[in-house]
Amino acid sequence: MGLATFLERTWSGIAGLVKPRSASSLFRLADQYRHEGRYEDAAELITEGLRVSPNIAVGHLLDAYLHVVFREMPAAKASFRRVLALDPYHPRALFGLARIALEEGDIEGCRPFLDRAIQYFPDFPEAKALQEMVVTWTAPVVGASAAVGAISTERLRLPPGAHDLVLTHADGTLVFAQGSEERQKHLGLHMTQVYRIASATLARAGLGAMRRGVIEGSGETTFLRSDGGVILGVALAREVEVGAGLVQVGRLWTDLNIKA
Amino acid sequence: MADPQIPADSKPPGDPTAPRPSRAQAFRETLSELTRLDGVRGGLIVTPDGLVITSELPPRFPVEALAALAATLGRELELGASRLERGAFRTALFSADDGTVFVGGSPVGYVTVVADRNVNNEGVRTALGRAVDRLRGTWRVSPV
Repeated sequence: MGLATFLERTWSGIAGLVKPRSASSLFRLADQYRHEGRYEDAAELITEGLRVSPNIAVGHLLDAYLHVVFREMPAAKASFRRVLALDPYHPRALFGLARIALEEGDIEGCRPFLDRAIQYFPDFPEAKALQEMVVTWTAPVVGASAAVGAISTERLRLPPGAHDLVLTHADGTLVFAQGSEERQKHLGLHMTQVYRIASATLARAGLGAMRRGVIEGSGETTFLRSDGGVILGVALAREVEVGAGLVQVGRLWTDLNIKA
Repeated sequence: MADPQIPADSKPPGDPTAPRPSRAQAFRETLSELTRLDGVRGGLIVTPDGLVITSELPPRFPVEALAALAATLGRELELGASRLERGAFRTALFSADDGTVFVGGSPVGYVTVVADRNVNNEGVRTALGRAVDRLRGTWRVSPV
């Protein structure tokens, strides 16, 4: 046997042993890795699977999920849209786009995605939970303000270092906020969204309506209080303990003469 | 949810023979430590896309719905901290008349704990902070 024939047979044998994996098997393994938290490994398999078969919806769906995990929202949105281009009624892609619209503050844009997802897949508890949450929401009126009694910031017992004091209605209408106009807008919108989503979470867990909240960032801690009608928030130093911070926000609540 | 054990993929420095716990194993252990605390009814770890990685909740709890809301809440807390330049979101608690929900943020996802009304808030928050730090340690790529 000549060298060329030997090499040809050897290569043929190796190629026969190392069969290329199908896209579906790559995606199946990628999904398993995703469930195990092996996102980097999953991402490699998805890229390979989509290279082999670029028109499989589940591949683009997994790609979108990983972009969300990596907080790459524009890329996630594009991948969810690719799924819908292949399968216009894919409930998981519709749900993914609804969640991105929600975090962008686009409540009106979120609703149709949830409605369509549930219309075509009625047994979808995640979508129903968000649909029930947003059904009563109205888009906050940016720039609008309404008074709750007379607010006199001079007589407030603001603790040392306190800032970002904000009072907003549960519908998002800003009553009062410290800082620049831009910061006031962000504070009001964020407080409202946190209150709404936290309230829905507490209600789903059967615990009742949100009364108090504590949000710890690496730089400072925000304390919240609500009676269901208005939400009061203030940022204090990070090292303030939960109990002490809630006492401080309670004093501000009293000073603002909010009737609980 | 089934969360199969996966083989160790590397070994820790200083002990070449000891297997390194998998990320999935770390998730389960982290949650288990929290749910053993007094007054804690249960909890779950959910990725930002809403996938439940592991959960320890009583049977009556609607896991999927709670996961969707917890992921949405976790993202809002992350985004708010970023927009308001408050540093990275770490933990939060929200209390109601009948109990409290705690949320911890990490690149991997959100740890959510459901607790009784009279739970030691400071104690759970401290334990949750440790859990979040542990989850951050399992993350080997740079989060955005």
